Amino acid sequence: MKLTLTKRQLLSVATGAAVGGPAFRAAAQTLPAHEKALYDAAKAEGELTWYSGQYNAESSEAMGRAFNDRFPGVHCNVVRSTSQVAFQRLSQDTRAGVRQCDVFSSTNSGHFTQLKREGKLTQYTPVNAAGMLPSIQNVDPDGYFHTSFLGLFLMIHNTQLVSEANAPKSWADALDPKWRNQLAVGHPGFSGAIGVWAVQMRKMYGWDYFTKLERNKPLIGRSSQDPVTTLNSGERSVGLCVPVGTTALAMSRGNPLKLIYPTEGVLATISPSAIPSNAPHPNAAKLFMEFQASKAGSEAVRDYYNEPLRGDVAPAPGARPLSEITLLAPSIAEQETGVPEVREAWRDTFGI
Amino acid sequence: MSTALGKSVVATPPRRVSLARRIGRIEPVMLLWILLIGALLFLVAFPLGKLFLVSFETRGTGAFTLSNYVTAYGRARYIEAVVNSLTLGLASATIAVVLAVPMAWAVSRTDMPGKGLTWTVVLGAFILPPYLGAVGWILLAGPNSGFINVFWRWLTGSESPFFNVYSFEGLALVIALNAFPLVFIFVKSALDLVSSEMEDAANILGAGTWTAMRKVSLPLVWPAIMAGFIIVFLETIALFGTPAIIGIPARINVVTTQLWQFFEYPVRVEVAAAYAMPLLLVTAGMIATQKLLLSRKGYVSQTGKGGERRPIKLGAWRWVMFAWCAMVGMIAVAMPLFVLLQASFAKAWGRGLSLDNLTFANYYLLIFEHDMAMTSIWNTIWFSATAATIAVLLALMVAYIVNRRLVPFGEVLGFLALAPFVIPGIVMAIGFYAAYAAPPLSLYGTAALIILAFAARFLPIAYANSSSAIRAVHPEMEEAARILGSGRLHAIRMITAPLVKKSLLGGWLIVFIVASRELSAAIFLVGPRTRTMSVLLYDLSEAGNFEVLAAFGGLLLVVTLIFVGIGMKLVGRDFMLRRG
Repeated sequence: MKLTLTKRQLLSVATGAAVGGPAFRAAAQTLPAHEKALYDAAKAEGELTWYSGQYNAESSEAMGRAFNDRFPGVHCNVVRSTSQVAFQRLSQDTRAGVRQCDVFSSTNSGHFTQLKREGKLTQYTPVNAAGMLPSIQNVDPDGYFHTSFLGLFLMIHNTQLVSEANAPKSWADALDPKWRNQLAVGHPGFSGAIGVWAVQMRKMYGWDYFTKLERNKPLIGRSSQDPVTTLNSGERSVGLCVPVGTTALAMSRGNPLKLIYPTEGVLATISPSAIPSNAPHPNAAKLFMEFQASKAGSEAVRDYYNEPLRGDVAPAPGARPLSEITLLAPSIAEQETGVPEVREAWRDTFGI
Repeated sequence: MSTALGKSVVATPPRRVSLARRIGRIEPVMLLWILLIGALLFLVAFPLGKLFLVSFETRGTGAFTLSNYVTAYGRARYIEAVVNSLTLGLASATIAVVLAVPMAWAVSRTDMPGKGLTWTVVLGAFILPPYLGAVGWILLAGPNSGFINVFWRWLTGSESPFFNVYSFEGLALVIALNAFPLVFIFVKSALDLVSSEMEDAANILGAGTWTAMRKVSLPLVWPAIMAGFIIVFLETIALFGTPAIIGIPARINVVTTQLWQFFEYPVRVEVAAAYAMPLLLVTAGMIATQKLLLSRKGYVSQTGKGGERRPIKLGAWRWVMFAWCAMVGMIAVAMPLFVLLQASFAKAWGRGLSLDNLTFANYYLLIFEHDMAMTSIWNTIWFSATAATIAVLLALMVAYIVNRRLVPFGEVLGFLALAPFVIPGIVMAIGFYAAYAAPPLSLYGTAALIILAFAARFLPIAYANSSSAIRAVHPEMEEAARILGSGRLHAIRMITAPLVKKSLLGGWLIVFIVASRELSAAIFLVGPRTRTMSVLLYDLSEAGNFEVLAAFGGLLLVVTLIFVGIGMKLVGRDFMLRRG
């Protein structure tokens, strides 16, 4: 193991000298003034820790690497998990009186209104946020949290098991008894997006949607991404509320999957990030918030098939443009009160 | 003899010795004793005591309340989880005994071929982390896509699956397949001590091989079977990874996944503590039952009169026994390992086995690009190594003091050192969280918290190991040195330590390996910078990418195998399987 560690260190030293050096100079020259000022302050802090439940593991790691490349000397520690788990870790930190998290990102916006009300967030509006799509700017009028993830969650099917013609077309189609033992879905106790989706479905169809869904015996995982694995293997043929990014990545590797854009619309989680008020590296945290809102940040996640946050970054090849999609999204208030309710109701309905 | 001598040395120093010399002679041991008491209180008693107190506290104010118990047991679903855990524990322990006892008997008492292979199987099952085995079994026995079920349908044309891993039976079997080595180790070492004369006596009286085994050999090792059963039961109810990976899709909520829910926002440690308390009662009840069942009969198989041990000739039956061992090896090790390896080298796992689907990209990503993978490997190695060192040193000192009867009430130390054995790991972790995460110590998110929890959790293994090592060294050698003028600590260093070195190293390695795969204690205690391989594996298991997950599992196995290899080289081939 020692060998691999050394190799890796060697590699990073080598790339640091060969690529990082010039890149560093180039980056330093091209940085806008506000980023430059934050970068100088952040260098003294040296690192930041990012708790995130938004992008999938690969995209989050790529985001961290892109940040490290753009701002050498400030290292981003990526702690990726499901959103509920990320929030759970943050709560445990608070409870233990420990400061660890610099930037917190979750697919459940309710987390942020709650933290804001408890006075646990730093007020900071990234300058770069002005370049984001107008519809996702200013989610918090007071500037405590800002959109960092535009997640599209829809249905997918395994093309070897279900043809496109036979695949369900809408969220309601999934309740048809012919999909008994065919469906896969995540769990709102773990996944923030599943919680938001359950709130949206309840709003549209009532809780009845889930009592009917239970009759079809879906295979319940934890993350909203779990159906990707389940469908890859052919264990189930249709996935509900699955992120576009992870699916597209699995498709690009040759897995037999296809996206279904439900006729009612696609669940859009316009999810924010924020800086906890006790963040141990506040400048690095602000710099990272700027990065998330920047062109470079959007490009980093776009390369892993996620939606860019800015109009000046082209979407991933093959993705359907936002303008052609109906977006479904419960309000932040609905999320905050709704998610804990549906989580309990889910456990009563599905027994887990 | 040793008792008398030991006491006379400590308790009644020769007359007319100056006070300073008297202190000089007694103090080191007494000081050590006090230090050890302190260490054990810190590691074992305080976290548990704190857990007990916290279960009666109101969140925020700390005022006395019983409401935590009401919350914890006020819902049918929560109680159901306890029932599920207990049933699961019994089922897994039973399966483990059924798998392991014939293997242990065959290896210990008979002329079955392929004993070396059987050792490898047991060792392999022991080092395969439970959640990794669980992922392997999802790939093997998923009702629709699992290799076994696909094959079954192809063979029989049947509509229904042969075996559904997402079921109570599936969960129990997968856990047992990972835990049976514990039973094997216990029962085999007990059978090793039963002399052939007892079986001969039965044979002379007209019993055949099977009757002798059923009526003589197995009843004699009944205590070992029960010990194995109990330890598998305890491991099962403490397990988190496998129930999360298989239990959630199977809609089976157990205590550990329920405890996890109490850690959701807002973190309700108090309710979690209250919820965990009855588990301790159940455990205590099991130990008491064991004592009761065993107290009625004698199980002495070892006498001072030599006793020959010769393998029983099984004839054609030896191939039946071999087939049994091979079957267990297939389902516990070979098959899950094969599918995991296949997934780890696959570009797209959904495309199955083919040459153009092969890639090293998953390994490359983890080794060179992943922010946490290498850090977590390094964390795992040094946390486990430090924890193993602490546990072995502490256990050695306690074992020495207890076995040489150097101080009054030494048994208390021994009891404390063994106590974590009966505490489910997850309860231990929550105790550590309640006691040391918050100020004044503020250990949450630090390496120290995890290391201490690992050391405490695996102290009993180290203690059992050290205790038997110390017992094997007759005190007369130390006494000879002391007569020649050596002090006690000097005698230990020059005589006892070299003699027990090898078996301590074995104990160290076992603690190291079990710590390196520990998940249920770690999952509640890790911070962003202290993630271990097992926690990262768990995180990867919900990232929709089994290819990378399997590759990381492969790395974990490589790390473990390196240490097992070192162990075999230094201590001998069977170091992990000798009962400590």
